[in-house]
Amino acid sequence: MSDFQIINNQYNIAYYCTRHQCDNGNAEKVAFRWISHTGERQDYTFEKLDKESSRYANALLGLGIKKGDIVFTFLPKMPEQFFAFLGALKIQAVAGTLFSNFGEEALTDRIGDSGAKVVVTKKSLLKKLLRALPSLEKLEYIIVVDIEDHDGKILSAPCLLKSASENFGIPVTSPDTPSVLHYTSGSTGKPKGVQHVHKSILTQSYTALKVLNLKDDDVYWCTADQGWVTGTSYGIIGPWSIGVTQLHYGGAYNAETWMKLLEEEGVTKWYTAPTALRMLMREDANIFRKFSLEKLVYIFSIGEPLNPEINVWAKEVLNKDIYDTWFQTETGSIMISNRPGISIRTGTMGKPIDIIHAEIISDDGDICPVGETGHLCIREPWDSMFVDYLNNSDTYKAKFKKGYYYSGDMVFRDEDGYFHFVGRNDDVINTAGHLISPFEVESTLLEIHEIAESAVIGAPDDLLFEKVVAFIRLKDGISWSDDLEMKIRIFLSNRLSSIATPQDIRIIEEIPKNKSGKIMRRVLKAWYKGEDPGDISTMDI
Amino acid sequence: MNTFDELNAIFCKVFYDNDIKISRENTSDDIDGWDSLSHLNLVVAVEKHFGIKFRDDEIAKWKNVGEMYDSLVLLIQKKQQK
Repeated sequence: MSDFQIINNQYNIAYYCTRHQCDNGNAEKVAFRWISHTGERQDYTFEKLDKESSRYANALLGLGIKKGDIVFTFLPKMPEQFFAFLGALKIQAVAGTLFSNFGEEALTDRIGDSGAKVVVTKKSLLKKLLRALPSLEKLEYIIVVDIEDHDGKILSAPCLLKSASENFGIPVTSPDTPSVLHYTSGSTGKPKGVQHVHKSILTQSYTALKVLNLKDDDVYWCTADQGWVTGTSYGIIGPWSIGVTQLHYGGAYNAETWMKLLEEEGVTKWYTAPTALRMLMREDANIFRKFSLEKLVYIFSIGEPLNPEINVWAKEVLNKDIYDTWFQTETGSIMISNRPGISIRTGTMGKPIDIIHAEIISDDGDICPVGETGHLCIREPWDSMFVDYLNNSDTYKAKFKKGYYYSGDMVFRDEDGYFHFVGRNDDVINTAGHLISPFEVESTLLEIHEIAESAVIGAPDDLLFEKVVAFIRLKDGISWSDDLEMKIRIFLSNRLSSIATPQDIRIIEEIPKNKSGKIMRRVLKAWYKGEDPGDISTMDI
Repeated sequence: MNTFDELNAIFCKVFYDNDIKISRENTSDDIDGWDSLSHLNLVVAVEKHFGIKFRDDEIAKWKNVGEMYDSLVLLIQKKQQK
């Protein structure tokens, strides 16, 4: 398979994922096989992908949406997700994705901050969006993929698309034109909009070829939801930019179904998450004996560190190795990985890809020697580097020092050049590969009448890597009860998302804070783990 | 209100959606927001409402709402017999 090349200064991501594939002889090739949760199959060729996304492009233009406007999809994995996303990119609008499990507060924060003009959703998710709507003054249209009639600013996609042409001339798009927007959580403040530009396709296609090892005749399955960066970088852009057929499945995790899909669909390259692999590990081994994975060449993993025992299990039960990869929303594409061509070192992140420069830097700004833990940094620029945190340029600038992007991960390098993850240098919680802001959870907890104060930490978890743990101080006169716990869980699941809902809630009399009033999460983590909290001289007692 | 309707009401409460109309055949794929994590909320809410306790192994076997409902009915009957 030849390397990806830019043609005539056209950097438009959607062009390479659709029209270019058709012009390149792939018009009749299956771009993706869609399998619904009920098992219905439908194949979409690159020509169909091109036409359907062009109809979205024309429909959006017809609504007055123009270059630079923000269009979100708020959809589960389904064909319309891909058509709308690529359609928005075709008109040089910014395509953002929202995880379909988000609740109204999570939606309000993200859509509100971005000033998005359009959200594409489905009827069953519309209710959550309508609850958030009063705070979303800039939102002009909600396009619903499964309603038949327009109703004010709520538009029926079938109606809109019926009159939209399936032909669209994609404008020549410069490399620095804003493209994809994902919101990510930090340890403080609200979620931040990570803005990428169209030239990210260079690194995304390169890593799809060189790390995921995708080839012309592959059937590739990326299990990530399009609400997260893996779902767009490697569930849309990377594979389609090089004309690779994907499997997209709309159902939830089920070990037997997943194994059946791998076998029956002849999946050759599989990109999934450690939590999913850990869930598979817990299943009855007999399940795996029923299926043949002989066509499956490589398994890749992303999201959290992959424990070595998963690789041992995969070798024993699936007769496969698992290649762990590392990247972030901000990096836009894989930066460090175990990959075909270099020996897997289990339990490590692997080695940096050859088109970027990763360095480990001490607190003093010096390059760390082998074996010494420091900040994982990437030398700027690289093509899939984010270009801003939307409306938050100061925070963006603070992520860069002396020509390096500081990832927030603490790592060391061994003598053979493999990077080893040690931890985060902030309080962001990585649960099942999703970053959760403790601040966001704490703020939402405080909306519950009975709660006076809250503090949230991440604690180690065998399945999720980290679990969300909340410490709560109740208001005077309020007693803890099962009913209150239930109320809190349901409230958080629906206001934020189920992944942000604490796995464990502890009631305490006082939240430990320093003299400036900052929550001492370090102390809470130590308490939770039954460890010595260390120096608590700054604690306000 | 019969047991199935009560179960429906709990689904509405847990998933913040008063329009949910469950059927025996529904799975987590049919109800937005019903994932492995919110499933815990659902199970606890059902247990609390009916004053019963599901066994972990029976929870793991449910393939749809109907199987959950059948487990629930059995536990309610056992409770009434005591």
